[in-house]
Amino acid sequence: MLEHFSFRVIGQYMPLFLRGLWATCWISGISIFFALLIGIIACGLRLSKGRFLKKIAGIYIESIRSTPLLAQLYFFYFGLPTLHVNLNEVQTGILALALNSGAYIAEIVRAGIVSIPSGQVEAATAYGLNYLQRMRYVILPQALGVTIPALLGQFIVLVKDSSLVSLISVLELTRAGQLMASERFMPAEGFFTVAAFYLLIYYILKYLSNWWQNRLIYMEGH
Amino acid sequence: MIIFKNVNKWFGSLHVLKDINLHIHPGEVVVVCGPSGSGKSTLIRCINQLEPIQKGEIIVDGMEVNKRSTNLTKLRSEIGFVFQQFNLYPHLTVLENVVLSPIKVKKVPRKEAEANALRLLERVGIPDKANDYPSQLSGGQCQRVAIARGLAMNPKVMLFDEPTSALDPEMIKEVLDVMVELAREGMTMIVVTHEMGFARQVADRVFFMDAGQIVESNTPDEFFENPRNERTREFLSKIITHN
Ligand SMILES: Nc1ncnc2c1ncn2[C@@H]1O[C@H](COP(=O)(O)OP(=O)(O)OP(=O)(O)O)[C@@H](O)[C@H]1O
Ligand SMILES: [Mg+2]
Repeated sequence: MLEHFSFRVIGQYMPLFLRGLWATCWISGISIFFALLIGIIACGLRLSKGRFLKKIAGIYIESIRSTPLLAQLYFFYFGLPTLHVNLNEVQTGILALALNSGAYIAEIVRAGIVSIPSGQVEAATAYGLNYLQRMRYVILPQALGVTIPALLGQFIVLVKDSSLVSLISVLELTRAGQLMASERFMPAEGFFTVAAFYLLIYYILKYLSNWWQNRLIYMEGH
Repeated sequence: MIIFKNVNKWFGSLHVLKDINLHIHPGEVVVVCGPSGSGKSTLIRCINQLEPIQKGEIIVDGMEVNKRSTNLTKLRSEIGFVFQQFNLYPHLTVLENVVLSPIKVKKVPRKEAEANALRLLERVGIPDKANDYPSQLSGGQCQRVAIARGLAMNPKVMLFDEPTSALDPEMIKEVLDVMVELAREGMTMIVVTHEMGFARQVADRVFFMDAGQIVESNTPDEFFENPRNERTREFLSKIITHN
């Protein structure tokens, strides 16, 4: 069977794969950054005392988590232009990925925050820190520490989900595989290579998270 | 310094503080004792507004604790609070634990805050632990760091909620020694504790709480030799047979 597997053509397509890999990496990276930001803010709002803000955050988190990412992506891709918001394909993809992951991250961070003993909040409150300072210096550093495995899981999901932006014709890793498959009729080679690159990203992320975890455990909070 | 006027507090339908009136003067050391659930912790947690009250008035250093216009941050930076479970920040070093609030709340420059923190750590007897994490310290050492953290805000009052009851017996003394010294230096202190030796040594007054009320308030000598209230006598006999 292997004699039919064309490594030569994979080699020919390597520049395309590398372009796709690069796009997948930076699109995911930017999306993860915004997803973390959105997630932490949404979680902060959800745990805050303001009724209205709490409600908004709740609606956002629930509606994202209850609908498929593909539907969200199409909503932004086809829906936003009719509302006269014009983003290009890549921006639309990042928007959809960040908003989607942000909702999951909000829940992950919330679980981490709830797991911090109430004495920590009490001490920080008694010593005059306000809500934002308590979050920033006391709660979040500890919550992020305990949620790293779950956050890493979410990052990996995001990288895999980023393959969906191939459907709005962004050239990333999966799209590169599709191109090779359709131009050369070699789906096995094309998607095998795609899978191998995703695996590579997975191992790099895992390595980074171990490193990050070791640092965070004994790191000061700012 | 601290004034309670007809203070009442409920948790839902549970009436935990009933018409509390008291007046604590600057430099005074007050020990609060009483059975579990009588409201001792709640009493001192109301002083820095960790718990809101529903009726009455609390005044600390001229500030009305439960008035909306009161600057809670300022109020809290005048009150040091030491918890039973220490509640040190586990992700920060001892030094960072002590300087966090002075830097972030009082805006003290880091250098100055650290120098002051090192002085305080020396005062509570652990100058060599500044760069350790709380998980590397014994319970007694943790509690002394917590006291240093309280003092770092340069407070006018220190509140202690059963500071030694989570400690192994051999560590109780090292913490009490620090507190005795603090009392002798003239700090205003309210200490919830069942350490009657401490009460005899430095307290100006001892309060006995039962079911949300201060049922007896007296000098330590009178309190131990001549308890007037039936419940106080019962309680003291239990504590004394325990010791
Ligand atoms: N957050 C809370 N919500 C509801 N009830 C509470 C809360 N905190 C305390 N209580 C109740 O209020 C009463 C007084 O509690 P408090 O902690 O002040 O007692 P305590 O005298 O400090 O007791 P202990 O010696 O056990 O520490 C108890 O019946 C307790 O169950
Ligand atoms: Mg208590």
